[in-house]
Amino acid sequence: MTGSALTPDTDAPGLTVRVESFVGPLDLLLHLCRTNEVDLANLPIRTITEQYLAHLESVQFQDLEAAGAFMVMAATLIYLKSKLLLPVDPDAPPEALDEEGELLRQELAERLREYARVKALGAWLGEREAEQALIYGRTVAELPPPEDVPLEDLSVHLLARAMTRLIEEQKRQAPREVEPNPLSVLERMGEILELLRHTWSLLFSSVAGVERVRTEWVVTLLALLELVRLGQARVHQTEIFGEIVIESGPGPTTDPALPALPDNGAASGDIAYA
Amino acid sequence: MPEPIDVVEALLFASETPVEADRIQEVLDLGSAREARELVQELAARLDGQGRALQIIEVGGGYRLVTRPDVAPWLVKLARSRTRSRLSRSALETLAIVAYRQPVSRPDIDAVRGVNSEAVLDNLLDRRMLRIAGRKDSPGRPFLYETTRDFLVAFGLRDLADLPKVEGELVIPDASADAVSAVATADAPEAAPATDSPELDPGPGGPELASRS
Repeated sequence: MTGSALTPDTDAPGLTVRVESFVGPLDLLLHLCRTNEVDLANLPIRTITEQYLAHLESVQFQDLEAAGAFMVMAATLIYLKSKLLLPVDPDAPPEALDEEGELLRQELAERLREYARVKALGAWLGEREAEQALIYGRTVAELPPPEDVPLEDLSVHLLARAMTRLIEEQKRQAPREVEPNPLSVLERMGEILELLRHTWSLLFSSVAGVERVRTEWVVTLLALLELVRLGQARVHQTEIFGEIVIESGPGPTTDPALPALPDNGAASGDIAYA
Repeated sequence: MPEPIDVVEALLFASETPVEADRIQEVLDLGSAREARELVQELAARLDGQGRALQIIEVGGGYRLVTRPDVAPWLVKLARSRTRSRLSRSALETLAIVAYRQPVSRPDIDAVRGVNSEAVLDNLLDRRMLRIAGRKDSPGRPFLYETTRDFLVAFGLRDLADLPKVEGELVIPDASADAVSAVATADAPEAAPATDSPELDPGPGGPELASRS
């Protein structure tokens, strides 16, 4: 590392930028203080601000929120520096601040000290974790679980997470399709007879529907065959796979006679096709 | 008839959580928890004396039977994976704040860290290192967080009193902070004996066994 002995009043950012990730603005600021070997108690605002801003460009932001936190700190530093540039008293030393600025600097120094402690503790925990990673113990017992589940290590968070998982599982399941009422052969027979009362002939496709829904076509065909069997309709087809033409049969067409039809239950029951 | 000390060994072997002295006393029908502790100490001494690969450690208010660190390279080989997933620096710092200030709310944690800690906290809750202790009586009634027993076990702590005392500014030289992060990335120095190095990768030659005579 070169340039770590920068004097506080040098404005030239001759610092070699070490590319590493900082977990927050305080982390970056602390790093700058360490490399400049400055006392946290009297932060050299000018130098630190310069270097902080220079570093901001090398920081890789993980998200907008993290970027925002770095910017807030930058704003604070710039604000403090602006106070230095406009000294109230021209005879004051170059690092002197007004009362508000001094309070702000004190607060910043205190936060930095606090963060330095946390960072050191985090490093200590990291060492412990590395040590513990070398020892292995049982993580799942083969003993049957106790009858009374200890609640001490459960929390609202785990409950909320279980609920979220349940809801997501529900969402993943395809919505259940609700079937319309199954078509009835008997009803379709009545419909055909009703149509035949007003016309000489009609086309099978016009009865079954142009959407070619399989169940519609099957039910219509069955209804038609039943009517033919009962002599109430006649059908003919001019070519294979051609259009089926339906005409009134020799039987009495004026009376649909549907109540009389289902004497033999086998042919006329409601047949639903899925 | 098994001796009480053998039963203690079986209890520690079979349990997934640290076994408290009180529990050992209860299971073995001992006169006092002190007797239980003495049995555990005796067992620990026996394991040490016989130079076994297992040891007894005191964590999270109880005892665990675990492997010794020097056999770790072979376990890594057995598991066919390099390392266990480690916590990030953000997560460790957040844990440090919660450990010392618990119960503590997210705004308080954010203030110390200078960044939003929501994602880190969720991760730590998922890992059961933290749990929600309640709500703070302040605007927004934020959740309060505290550490769990799993936290103590993961960091090999008997209880929270095992954490280092913090007074004034804890000045840790940059070198040591760098060394911690170096463990995960740097190649193991060849000069370092395998037993002292926290490096888990046994390397191309595999871990070295003591020669049998």
